[in-house]
Amino acid sequence: MLPLNYAILAQFAHGEEADADTVMGALAGAYSSARQFTKKAVVEALMTAHANGLLDETRFDLDDRDQLRIYYQATDSGRDMIHRYIGV
Amino acid sequence: MSVLTATEQKTRLKRTFFTKGLVIATVSGMAYGLYSAFVTQAMGQGVWGSWYGPDTVLSAFVVVYVLGVLGSGINDLVSAVWAVGIAGLKGKLMDFFRSVKTRPGMVIMACAVIGGPIASAAYIISLQMAGSIIAPITALCPALGAILSRFLFKQKLNLRMVIGILICLAATLMIGWSSLQADARPGAVLGCVIAFIAAVGWAIEGAVAGFGTTVVEYEIGITIRQLTSGVVNLLVVLPLMCFFAGHIGLAPRLVVDAVTSGGSMIFFVISGLFALFAYSLWYKGNSMCGTALGMACNGAYSFWVPFFCWLILGVFFGQDGWALQPIAWVAAVVMFLGILVIAVNPLEWFRRNTSSLMEEVA
Repeated sequence: MLPLNYAILAQFAHGEEADADTVMGALAGAYSSARQFTKKAVVEALMTAHANGLLDETRFDLDDRDQLRIYYQATDSGRDMIHRYIGV
Repeated sequence: MSVLTATEQKTRLKRTFFTKGLVIATVSGMAYGLYSAFVTQAMGQGVWGSWYGPDTVLSAFVVVYVLGVLGSGINDLVSAVWAVGIAGLKGKLMDFFRSVKTRPGMVIMACAVIGGPIASAAYIISLQMAGSIIAPITALCPALGAILSRFLFKQKLNLRMVIGILICLAATLMIGWSSLQADARPGAVLGCVIAFIAAVGWAIEGAVAGFGTTVVEYEIGITIRQLTSGVVNLLVVLPLMCFFAGHIGLAPRLVVDAVTSGGSMIFFVISGLFALFAYSLWYKGNSMCGTALGMACNGAYSFWVPFFCWLILGVFFGQDGWALQPIAWVAAVVMFLGILVIAVNPLEWFRRNTSSLMEEVA
């Protein structure tokens, strides 16, 4: 089992586009019991990865509860780093 | 109730994230100042008082070089205990064990060795050889970190940011100016070269480990950092330096004497806690707002260290010799302006404020 932050980034290893809710949905089975598995933590991890050039923002909109959704995709160098350092 | 548009929510989210990064990086510099004041206090209490006193039984080499490594090692190990405790309370211990054996975890360990034992030992040695003349050289680390991040991680570094970094460097020079004129020693040139090694070491740590916290969660990263630094300092560097002092058996004796000296350990417990925040928030701040800005905000420790030494050692504990020079306050203002220049593009700021003013008028 990967550490949570690694698992979040691993969701983008193969060019997938995802927002925080999609990532949480994909990881819920393995990580829902982890105390740090919160929407706030996932959003911050994604924004940090974006700030460091691992992820690109692809689009953004509002969901049915008028909450912001930002979608991300790994950059070429980000994908390369995920493969090399996380090994997925 | 009016609902914010997606663009408005996104702008707000980005602004909050950026501001949080700035606050975290600034608090890391303040924590560094507090850690420095308390570690200085710790290394003056109990058995340390007799080691550094006029009737010391230790050789000059041990007093000058070995005790610094011992203090740094104990502080980092106490800090690691805090880090493990906090990670445990927050339910991150399993992630810590999972991260340690991965490549990013090992990168953090390598950074801990470079920025911990290597850079810290270089700093202590250079300080002893050249005196406080080295302060402006070690203050180059934010600039070096920004340059490294530009080349290693393609981070943004434009002319405005370079000017901001230079302003911060000038502010640090202002603080170190009086000591710069005061004590030039015979070994100063070699001391300055060794001080540059410390600056490069911290620059590598700030740039690489800051980027590394994109992958390794920062509280897990700092647990790895402090454990590595403390263990390498006490189990490798300290015995090595005692060996050079001609008495390797001195190392365990010094460690036992230091950790059983209650008067000083209580202050190491406090300094270790602040060291934890100094480094963890440094990593996190760098990862949130980029190495150039993160390290510039953290670099304000060149003001916070004398400030908290004055406040805690001078004012609270009534020790002489910690008075804060008036120039330090001026330098703090200059440093703030430098950070502002790195953080904010004046043209964008002017454009944004003009357009919101126009909207209000309309």
